[in-house]
Amino acid sequence: MKKLLALLLAMTMVMALVACGGNSNQKPAEDTPPAPAENQEPAAPAENEPAAPAATSEITLWTYPIGDWGDEATVKKLTDAFTAETGIAVKVEYLAYADGDDKVNTAITAKGTPDLIMEGPERLVANWGANGYLVDLKDMFDDTDMSEINAVNEGVMNACTHTNGAIYEYPLVMTAHCMAVNVNAFKEAGADQYLHLDTHTWTTDEFINAVAALYAHYNDTVGAVYCAGQGGDQGTRALVNNLYGGTFTNAEHTQYTWDDPLNIQALEQLKSMDGIAFDASLAGGDEIAKFYQGALKMAFCWNIAQQLDPNGAKTGAEKTVTGEDIAFMSFPSQDGNSKLQGGIWGFGIFDNGDQARIDAAKQFIKYMCDSANTVDAVKAARYFAVRTTAEGTDLSGIWADNAIMNEYTKLMPYLGDYYQVTTGWAGARTEWWNMLQEVGAGQDITASVAAHAATANSAAG
Amino acid sequence: MANPSKTPMSRALQRRENVAGYLFMLPSLIFFLGFVIIPMFICIITSLTETNMTDPGLFGQFIGLRNFGNLFQDEIFLKGLKNTFLIVIVSVPAVCGFSLWVSSAIYKLKGPVLSAFRCIFYLPVVTGSVAVTVVWKWMYDNYTGILNGVLKSTGLVEKGINWLGDPKTAIWCIILILFTTSVGQPIVLYVSALGNVDQTLVEAAQVDGATDLQVFWKIKWAQMMPTTLYILVITTINSFQCFALIQLLTQGGPNHSTDTVMYYIYYTAFKLTEQVGHFGYANAMGVVLAIFIGALSAVQFKLAKEK
Repeated sequence: MKKLLALLLAMTMVMALVACGGNSNQKPAEDTPPAPAENQEPAAPAENEPAAPAATSEITLWTYPIGDWGDEATVKKLTDAFTAETGIAVKVEYLAYADGDDKVNTAITAKGTPDLIMEGPERLVANWGANGYLVDLKDMFDDTDMSEINAVNEGVMNACTHTNGAIYEYPLVMTAHCMAVNVNAFKEAGADQYLHLDTHTWTTDEFINAVAALYAHYNDTVGAVYCAGQGGDQGTRALVNNLYGGTFTNAEHTQYTWDDPLNIQALEQLKSMDGIAFDASLAGGDEIAKFYQGALKMAFCWNIAQQLDPNGAKTGAEKTVTGEDIAFMSFPSQDGNSKLQGGIWGFGIFDNGDQARIDAAKQFIKYMCDSANTVDAVKAARYFAVRTTAEGTDLSGIWADNAIMNEYTKLMPYLGDYYQVTTGWAGARTEWWNMLQEVGAGQDITASVAAHAATANSAAG
Repeated sequence: MANPSKTPMSRALQRRENVAGYLFMLPSLIFFLGFVIIPMFICIITSLTETNMTDPGLFGQFIGLRNFGNLFQDEIFLKGLKNTFLIVIVSVPAVCGFSLWVSSAIYKLKGPVLSAFRCIFYLPVVTGSVAVTVVWKWMYDNYTGILNGVLKSTGLVEKGINWLGDPKTAIWCIILILFTTSVGQPIVLYVSALGNVDQTLVEAAQVDGATDLQVFWKIKWAQMMPTTLYILVITTINSFQCFALIQLLTQGGPNHSTDTVMYYIYYTAFKLTEQVGHFGYANAMGVVLAIFIGALSAVQFKLAKEK
């Protein structure tokens, strides 16, 4: 009898374990794709109408480190204010770029995705949205919203919209990625003559001359084409594309075009420069640290958030660890008019099949992205608002009290095409840094570029 | 003739004891089944399918042995396999030889000194692999690292060596770290084994005129064979499964020069999410790796048994 009981107990527990692993009763997200936009009933205009109270008391938000949206104290202030106003608690989990995608993918598999996620179109639109895991947010936009956003940059809504017409990201902030130089080092080497610090631009020839002058002075690597991984790869892409005017994708975002002869010319030029190293031991974050420490004299992975707080070290804006001056610069191009890589960050909602939670998540987005509270949400990100006004609150002057942010707006007109929504983006990024590693290792540049671009295109379909 | 010990009463007692024993084993058994045996079968079945990580069901479409066929045409996998074997071939003899040498030198030392040496060699084992890796990363740094600092200041090199960024040096850097984190346990085991060698046999051999080398080879080495076998098997398995170091230091780069099968399994399963059937493919790699580990361990057991 006891034996039977023990066997029964064992079987029950094993079955429970197996059942925990399977969980096939839950309706998969793919089974409930967002309805095509044209079939949807237009929702009541969000403008000027208070959101209806949601029937859920707690939602979850996962956020990548987008400015201080990665800082618990800052985010808590924002979410506490939201909770006080709506009664909806927000449980926040902070993701790192190193393994955030793994966590989200695991959550998708385990059917444990959060209600909200904060990131950019390359993940929200091109990946999770395209694969049917996110809710179409089209009903949250009316003509006023569109015009407020388009007035800042017409590319923003394009980037947040999938080719199927669904909007998978409600944008909050944007910026242009740039590079940075150590002004003191440039002055010491006599290379400051090549910098136009008033416009923050320079030409390809000026960049080449500046690197030569720096190398002659320091006799060491002054800039690194980092390629240990995909982190910060927007910098290396922008450097290579701008040097001689090459492109990364076609205008339709259907094909990767980095096998462009102009990019090959740029790679050959960079490889031939003594002061530039193709460094497979550094990723973007490592390069920033080396620049901040003074080991490198220029950084290709930079933006306004770094300018305000270099290396996230809180040792003072626009300064290296030893107090040398940092100037942000546009990437060098032949005529000085470069096309900068954009960053657009906002919120997406995972379709967990619970309408009450989706409504609460939409209420959160409305609160953060289109209300009087948007000022705080934007300032927390330390980037620029994607819209001119939010429910009557003027956002255009929220950084008027910050000289650095004001100066940085000089780069915003150089914002280029947001091509990160091209199909097969994750695979294409991998191909890019692997290609840079091969170039650094001395392999034939043309052959390497062609092979990796072809692989990226095969994934793009 | 009836056996007095086989009375109904004693059989009941035996049964009761058996049941109690099984019940004590039950929690471990459940975990072993749930986290080892069942996943193992899932892995084998998945390796025969075109499963994606985010598929709604447990298994994707059955494709037979296609994943295994593709594996041996995948250049990155083959490179990873080559690197894995390089790590095993270099690391296992080096770890065993070095730990045997150190143990032989220190096992006769007095208590506190012996403990100090044990601590020194065991420290990298108990230190978290992330902490160890961070320290090594600092040392290998090609801009501010101590290794390049020493080499440059002594005039041995003019420009810093990019230890982890150069395909020629990266894998050896990984092997060196793996070596330092692997020798601790074998040293402790060998010190213990050497201390347990039957001294009467050693003395008898010495009386018979055996040299130190003969004493070691004929008496001590023979008695330490079970320990050596354990060390060989454990070091081989650890070397085959080298993952954290690579994930933290090089992510398989540069140019796949530090890719191992373990890292490539992780990369394919969790990073190549856009590749159709990536989860099944990663599981196929897992099966192949398990076969290699099993085969090599069996060979080691066989050889040690013959010895």
